[in-house]
Amino acid sequence: MTKLKIVPMLVIAAMGLAACDGGYPSDKTIDRGFVDSKDLSQLQAGIWVDPNGCDHWIIDDGLEGYLSARLDKYGRPVCSGVAEPTQTVGDFKSGSNVRDPN
Amino acid sequence: MVTAAAGAVALTSFMTADVSAQAFGQTQSQQGRDGGQYIPTIWVDPDGCEHWVMDDGAEGYMTPHVSRKGIPVCRRANLCGTMNSDQFFSTGSYRIHQQGKQRLAKFFQSAKATSFIITGHTDSRASDASNMRLSLKRANAVADIAVQSGAKVADVRGYGERMPVATNSTAGGMAKNRRVEIICIQ
Repeated sequence: MTKLKIVPMLVIAAMGLAACDGGYPSDKTIDRGFVDSKDLSQLQAGIWVDPNGCDHWIIDDGLEGYLSARLDKYGRPVCSGVAEPTQTVGDFKSGSNVRDPN
Repeated sequence: MVTAAAGAVALTSFMTADVSAQAFGQTQSQQGRDGGQYIPTIWVDPDGCEHWVMDDGAEGYMTPHVSRKGIPVCRRANLCGTMNSDQFFSTGSYRIHQQGKQRLAKFFQSAKATSFIITGHTDSRASDASNMRLSLKRANAVADIAVQSGAKVADVRGYGERMPVATNSTAGGMAKNRRVEIICIQ
């Protein structure tokens, strides 16, 4: 794990440049990261339990963070009790090789 | 009458204007290369349900893909058991006979799940209100056995006749609708 801390900084700097020529196109379906590019269907999720005890899918994908409700087939929140409120479960940071402090 | 008609016309034109981009105005957020258009892709969660996902450079966005009725779009169901009510309950009753209790206890002891969601359903005979009551009582009867077997129950609900899986115009369809579903949360 000798990944350089400066990698994210480089990516952010590069994005700064990209922003100068008008940003990204409408297709938001891929991660254009220099070192962790991927189709977004490959994201790896864990679970975050909200303060009410209900589950959400949480993904830390390098620079991007994602959070989305876990719903059952009827559309109700899933409150599985897998962990205490505010706790996380699972390896949700493993989908990217970009290291960030958190 | 003239006033009402004029009002309707005014309302219609207002609604049309309201959904156009101009009503919202062009903010700085719409002036990039994307022109404010965000095309998502789909991420499938470990339960098999879809989410809209977008990567906008350093930011990521995600929200569940649900129908306009609020029902999640899923590629598979996490149903690990559907109990045919006729095998466990007498008509109108929510008491589970001894043999049924043993079968259920065995099921809950062997199913590997973090917790269970149990939902009761009926066919469309009898009133909606009594079906809502009966389906909840039956779901609770099943949940009691789950708890006694050491399983964790995340939720118990009765949907009455409101979530049919088959037609209620045939005897076979009605029998399919009389059920208790057990959703396994991994």
